[in-house]
Amino acid sequence: MALLDTIGEERAAVLARIEAAAGTAALEQVRVEVLGKKGSLTALLRGMGQVAPEQRGEVGRAVNRLRDEVEAALAVRREALAAAELEARISSEALDITLPGRARPVGTQHLISRLTEEIVEVFRGIGYQVASGTEVETGYYNFTALNTPPDHPSRGLQDTFYVRDRSGERAAIDGESDVVLRTQTSGVQVHVMEERTPPIYILAPGRVYRRDVADPTHLPQFTQIEGLVVDRGITFGDLKGTLEYFCRQVFGPERTVRFRPHFFPFTEPSAEMDVSCGICGGAGCRSCGNTGWLEILGCGMVDPNVYGFVGIDPQEYSGFAFGLGVERIACLKYNVPDLRMLLEGDMRFLRQF
Amino acid sequence: MRVSLKWLKTMVDVPCDLREFTQKLDLTGTAVEGVEVTGTALEGIVVGQVLTRERHPDADRLWVTTVDVGAHNLGEGGAPEPVQIVCGAQNFEAGDKVPVALVGATLPDGSRIKKAKMRGVESRGMNCSARELGLGEDHAGLLILHPSAPVGIPIAEHLGLSDAVIDLEITPNRPDCMSMLGIAREVGAIYAVPWSLGREVPAALVGEPVEELVRVSIDDAQRCARYTARVIRGVKIGPSPQWLAERVIAAGARSINNIVDVTNYIMFEMGQPLHAFDLATLAKDGEGRAHIVVRAAKPGERFTTLDGVERVLDEDITCIVDGNAAGAGAAGADAGGAGAAGAAGAAGAAGAGATIGLAGVMGGLASEVTEDTVDILLESATFSSAHTSRTSRKLKLFSEASARYERGVDGASCDTASARAAALMVEVAGGVLCEGVVDVWPAPAVPELLSFRVGRFCDFIGAEVPIADIVGILTRLGCRMACHDQADSGRDSVLPVQPPTFRPDLTREIDLYEEVLRVWGMERVASTLPGGRGRIGEQTTEQRRQATLGRTLRASSLNETMTYAFSSPAADAAVAMPFEEHQQAVELINPMNGEQSVMRRSILPGLLRSVAYNQSRGVANVHLYEQGTVFFASEGRKLPRERQMLAAVLAGAWAEGGWNNPAEPLGFFDGKGVVENLLRELNIAKGQFKALDASAAPWLQPGRAAQVLAGSQQLGWLGEVHPRVCAAFEVQPPVVAFELDVKALLASAAQARPYRELPQFPALSLDLAVVVDEDVSAQRVLQAIRSAGGALLDEVRLFDVYRDEGRLGAGKKSLAFSLAYRAPDRTLTLEEVEKLHQKVIGKVASATGAEVRA
Repeated sequence: MALLDTIGEERAAVLARIEAAAGTAALEQVRVEVLGKKGSLTALLRGMGQVAPEQRGEVGRAVNRLRDEVEAALAVRREALAAAELEARISSEALDITLPGRARPVGTQHLISRLTEEIVEVFRGIGYQVASGTEVETGYYNFTALNTPPDHPSRGLQDTFYVRDRSGERAAIDGESDVVLRTQTSGVQVHVMEERTPPIYILAPGRVYRRDVADPTHLPQFTQIEGLVVDRGITFGDLKGTLEYFCRQVFGPERTVRFRPHFFPFTEPSAEMDVSCGICGGAGCRSCGNTGWLEILGCGMVDPNVYGFVGIDPQEYSGFAFGLGVERIACLKYNVPDLRMLLEGDMRFLRQF
Repeated sequence: MRVSLKWLKTMVDVPCDLREFTQKLDLTGTAVEGVEVTGTALEGIVVGQVLTRERHPDADRLWVTTVDVGAHNLGEGGAPEPVQIVCGAQNFEAGDKVPVALVGATLPDGSRIKKAKMRGVESRGMNCSARELGLGEDHAGLLILHPSAPVGIPIAEHLGLSDAVIDLEITPNRPDCMSMLGIAREVGAIYAVPWSLGREVPAALVGEPVEELVRVSIDDAQRCARYTARVIRGVKIGPSPQWLAERVIAAGARSINNIVDVTNYIMFEMGQPLHAFDLATLAKDGEGRAHIVVRAAKPGERFTTLDGVERVLDEDITCIVDGNAAGAGAAGADAGGAGAAGAAGAAGAAGAGATIGLAGVMGGLASEVTEDTVDILLESATFSSAHTSRTSRKLKLFSEASARYERGVDGASCDTASARAAALMVEVAGGVLCEGVVDVWPAPAVPELLSFRVGRFCDFIGAEVPIADIVGILTRLGCRMACHDQADSGRDSVLPVQPPTFRPDLTREIDLYEEVLRVWGMERVASTLPGGRGRIGEQTTEQRRQATLGRTLRASSLNETMTYAFSSPAADAAVAMPFEEHQQAVELINPMNGEQSVMRRSILPGLLRSVAYNQSRGVANVHLYEQGTVFFASEGRKLPRERQMLAAVLAGAWAEGGWNNPAEPLGFFDGKGVVENLLRELNIAKGQFKALDASAAPWLQPGRAAQVLAGSQQLGWLGEVHPRVCAAFEVQPPVVAFELDVKALLASAAQARPYRELPQFPALSLDLAVVVDEDVSAQRVLQAIRSAGGALLDEVRLFDVYRDEGRLGAGKKSLAFSLAYRAPDRTLTLEEVEKLHQKVIGKVASATGAEVRA
């Protein structure tokens, strides 16, 4: 039974080599040398022809058993080695995950347009539409139709930018021109009331201009948001409720507001709205000038004279309007110390928000 | 408007503390801008009584005193005990009451009182002179107080120095609040308490009739509704009594002399500006009368005002003229003299007269009250607010008087104020008040009767306000509630209301609503939201697309900024954009400065300034965009055309070089990539780039400039900014920039891309490298490939551009493309694809002169 002995020896040798294989590559080498075309076990199988016929059954079974056994051993060993190798690769591939990632940074939105958008969204949520107008406007829309008296100081060359009128007309105002850089987006409400019929619920954000020297608290150009509501049965209580809602949305639910009677030519009654100081909570501190309040916006019920300019019947409709300066609110919300920073385009400033 | 609380309290009862009071003023429409508390500087200085006075043992000029300061100094048993103070003054005796600065007090000059030893004797405080308290120049000795002064009370309280001056912002619609009387009335209305003028002025001795001394003519009643003149003779000019000086100073003026102080005092008290002329300086007519004429100034007329400045006048300015000087006269309303009516006609023809005052603004130097003045002509008039306002602004001359006239002065109170002022002048300066008044008042104003619909008011504000409250508030504000018959019909009541003459702002029913609302309390109105039905927060297509722009640019790493909408001809010239005839700059008539004298026609200059700003601060990587308006004027058009533009600049690299991320300098294609992102996000299918030559885009570097189009629609430009332009803006090149027309972008945008079926069958990719002349654009080659490849050519990607003079020859470049072939309905065979590919190669070669590389 020399052959069976040989098979036995082969078995021991092969299983030992499988066990000894250091890696999947070495194991594959073993497999080729044993089971490959020129493998030792393959050779045994080929040698079956020389085995005596009466022994063939037994030897054949032994060889086949051995092959199954080898294949099983190979599989077990392969899995173990592969697992070990994966383990080794994973541990060798460990990263310092604190190294910075790689992506082009997403750009930032300017504070003013971000805040404008936020405010517009608040009002869109309660049914307002956005309207816009031109930045160069006639004195009629910027002042007259908003009930500003002809001699009002705000119309003067000191306060308002006038533009050379190329139409050939020379308007009476200041002897030169009645074309201005709009000082308020309120003119949009006049256009809207001329063009649409109530109900009107609009918001008009936009750039406005006033002749102020640029300093930490003034800019000759800034952003205003004007709101206008004209509908049946609008009350002063509606004005209060609307603006209180807006304030809670923008400044937070813990802030309170108050209304102080004021004067504007295009609203009657008029008021200014203050929001409680976010720093001292209303007790009074340096940032609110010890009053506990910060002035946020001007508002009021639309003056009947304004309806007169646009042909809306004040006996049938009533409404309110409000106007707020976005830069001012930005300063209050984000503690920007100098308004001029908003126009410099300093990347270090812009990337903060 | 400065309001002394001490003064106010003599007129009306303020029923709460200062903080509560100022809040109430705020909430009823009189904004408090600040409160200045005076007298607090003298804290720790009290009334003391000198008990003993003995020579200092070691110094001839010093006294050792013991001073009773009441409970401010307590002995060991807790009982008050006198303090020992060493003192150098000589003017006092034991028993005198003097101001004592206790240890710890700070004097107005800032020095602090400490316990000290003076030549070996302990001193615990300081007896003070008037000067040491900042109360005057007298430092000859201690300030000896009245024997009745209560020991121990603060000196500020004893001397009445404690006051709070409230600075009020008076809105332009409230002329009546420009006086103490107006504020007292307002306080009375707010708290429903009575008020009065407070101080009584004794009646004056009456002399000769004033008509014998003065006559008055008003040329134009539009400029002056009423003019009254009184004369006070034999006054003695001198300092004002302390109470008068104190009040005038508290109101914000200087104390000048008794006569001028009275004019200011009555103005602050009653809101009526007054002017005192020295009657002796005015020319007299044959009957010995002065003649006051109110008329328009002559153009070019010169006049020296009280402040010593010579002013050049024009016709819009109203003058007070000495009608007798240099032959005078005036037409129009006229009174005074014997037989007023007759005199008017007689004075008709006339010369100019000599100007003695600018109506409503300031008096003249020549007729000013001086130390030698004996007879006073007192003017109390109602000048037009519009003329006064324009005059002030034109001459840049603002006075307390002009501030009041600008808002409007009540014609009805003109004479009352004058009478009170005249009597007060006699009280403080002596003399005799001439009998009567010369009063020219052509047309007294009568306020219109208004109707107040109670129900409508309640509906309008959204609160039920009781009729009694409405009537009470309006009455306290000075309105006459003509009759209250209807007050019983509740909500249906219509109240007839006659506003007072001092409230010219109350001309309509709505004005009364505001009055009632503000006094009743805005805080009492419940907050509600409008219940309107036709309310939709709709967004237009354009508004929705608009939002895509910023979102895409930010996703492409750009940061939004904002720059000035102003430009200057110099900046425009530096950029050298060739604008057309109808694209002129909008010029400002009154710019802030030369650098902001026109409106911008491009956002680029502003962005370049920001690049320079960053670079000069060591920030090299700049990625900015702005969406904003540009302006174009053209002859014959009143309003310019405005266009919304979207512009961007890129400089430096996307980021500082990182450990795994080298900093690649930004160039043309980085800008182009951003624009391509935009085109994609807006679904602009036919976006294309065409080279721009130097003459079309002189602000861009030639060869790196492109026009951006959607089909034939121009969208804008893209390129690297010309180094010359960069230099003009002190910017370090290269800077990539683009500027696109927002309206054109949005108009070219498609609503949505249609769905395309995902490929079911695999693609076969083959490469194609061609060598072409430098001037053959990639786009041309690409077009040739696409047209030859037809429907089966699914994708073409340019993956390499390569130049090598040695291997390719001069002026040649190699372009390598990867072509993916795919059929929608089957798997293509290699033979099929190769055949097609060969066809593509052939077509490209013939169309572009390309040589195919192996």
